[in-house]
Amino acid sequence: MSETANVLEVSGLRTGYDGIAVLDGVDFTVGEEVFAILGANGAGKTTLLATLARLNPLMAGTVTFRGTDTSGLRAHQSAGLGVGYVPQERGVFPDLTVMDNLRVGGMFGNRSLQERVEEVFTFFPDLKRKLNLRAGTLSGGESRMVACGRALMQETTLLLLDEPTAGLSPLYVSTFFEAIRRIRFERQVAIVVAEQNATQALGVADRVMVLSLGRASAAMAASELTTERLKHAYQI
Amino acid sequence: MVLDTFLITGLFNVVMLIGLALLLHLQLGLTRIANFGVVGFWGVGLYTFGVLYVRVDWPFEDPIQFVVCAVLATAAAGLCGLLIGWLIADLDVDGVLVGTLGFATAVAILATTEQGLTGGARGMGGLRFPYDSGDVAVNELIWLLVLVALVAGILAYVWLVHRAPYGRLLIAIGSNEPLARSLGKPVTRTKLGLFTITSALMGLLGVMYGVMVRFLEVSSLGIEVTLATVVGLVVGGSVRVLGAVVGVLLTVGFFDIVIQSYLPLPAEWYTQTIPLMREVLFGVALILVLVFRPLGLLGHMRRDRLMKRIHGG
Repeated sequence: MSETANVLEVSGLRTGYDGIAVLDGVDFTVGEEVFAILGANGAGKTTLLATLARLNPLMAGTVTFRGTDTSGLRAHQSAGLGVGYVPQERGVFPDLTVMDNLRVGGMFGNRSLQERVEEVFTFFPDLKRKLNLRAGTLSGGESRMVACGRALMQETTLLLLDEPTAGLSPLYVSTFFEAIRRIRFERQVAIVVAEQNATQALGVADRVMVLSLGRASAAMAASELTTERLKHAYQI
Repeated sequence: MVLDTFLITGLFNVVMLIGLALLLHLQLGLTRIANFGVVGFWGVGLYTFGVLYVRVDWPFEDPIQFVVCAVLATAAAGLCGLLIGWLIADLDVDGVLVGTLGFATAVAILATTEQGLTGGARGMGGLRFPYDSGDVAVNELIWLLVLVALVAGILAYVWLVHRAPYGRLLIAIGSNEPLARSLGKPVTRTKLGLFTITSALMGLLGVMYGVMVRFLEVSSLGIEVTLATVVGLVVGGSVRVLGAVVGVLLTVGFFDIVIQSYLPLPAEWYTQTIPLMREVLFGVALILVLVFRPLGLLGHMRRDRLMKRIHGG
């Protein structure tokens, strides 16, 4: 993969909370692909994604999105460039309806809101019947669909998904990963997905990186990830 | 027929508090900015207007003098809103609460100590209506109607905000600020803009009050205005547009107008017992609502129904 094809370049990243580093020396690049970040609970996946979305402070290193250094940007500026973030929890605005949640995401872009909403329905058809429901009344799976749909409404070109299937039933998990696969190809969006569910993530990912004990492995093709390496990362 | 002066004053307070509660609804109910210093912004408008109107030798007469002083006082309250809003922008709810309460306290202390300007604890007279019908009761009634028009305008604005993308943004920020940021929303700028405008309007309501009472007393800068506003809003339902209206009517309206005007209470109660009883009853009402109906008497926002009405489906 050539340098210019990189959607995201992360170099020497150190991040954490209150001056304490959770992750250090993280380097990777993401192209037009699905890039999976695997790791056990507490490995720093959420911290990494929140940092890439510029919600967490960057203690060292650089983050470059499509050639623009976003290290000094705030979250809303990064989002303006086309970085969409779907958090693991509290990903919807509970007092707003599903339709309003989608509309909140529609601030950027040239296409009409209606056109974008219709596109979201093609990936998550179940939402069509729930448009006027308050998002706070939705199930966990439906909430994730709303959050993901809202990120697509932003005309995102890089989608950061933080454990999108955590706590969901197997049916929702496979439905969601199928939607991710379709989004990748039909919208041509680069996707970074942090997951504990390695089996499902590896099913859709082109490349993968494993987080363990505050460090990141070198990125590799999903097919190259051995069971031994995974067991080591998950400390099994 | 001109209404009784006592009743006009009571109605004026109720309508003014409805206006304040509507503005607090935008701050607290939608955007979750826990402004506990309502009286501070209201007081900046009140005292800035009073000082400008009485102390400055203007080269023009009323009503231009009133308009100029009112505009400057409103702008002063808005400026305070901008400054305080900037200071509290990144604080959590506790910090916002303490910060705004501290601001209101500072305003009260300033009004008390700057005796040369404000008359301090002695108060300051010299305010008057920007018109004269020749009858004080008629002047007061007209002023009440002006206030009703102003508060109706605020109500219409709040109603429109609920139906506009701006309202959606305020609710989004109130629900989950980091998430709103991650969606590209200018959260700080939006909060600052809202806080500035609503604080300015609180100041304008202070101006209206100053003209009505025509005498500035530092005792009016106590916690009572904030308390009555918060209690009214919470009792009615802080996330509903009409929550502010219903809540203030049921608390302040019921107590200040129905009880005080129509119940045969002993005259000696009016000095100490009734004000204390008012605070106690407001406190009890607040506790009962929080325990049995935490979202207020009008309950949840029911935005789903509102959106269905607007968009169908």
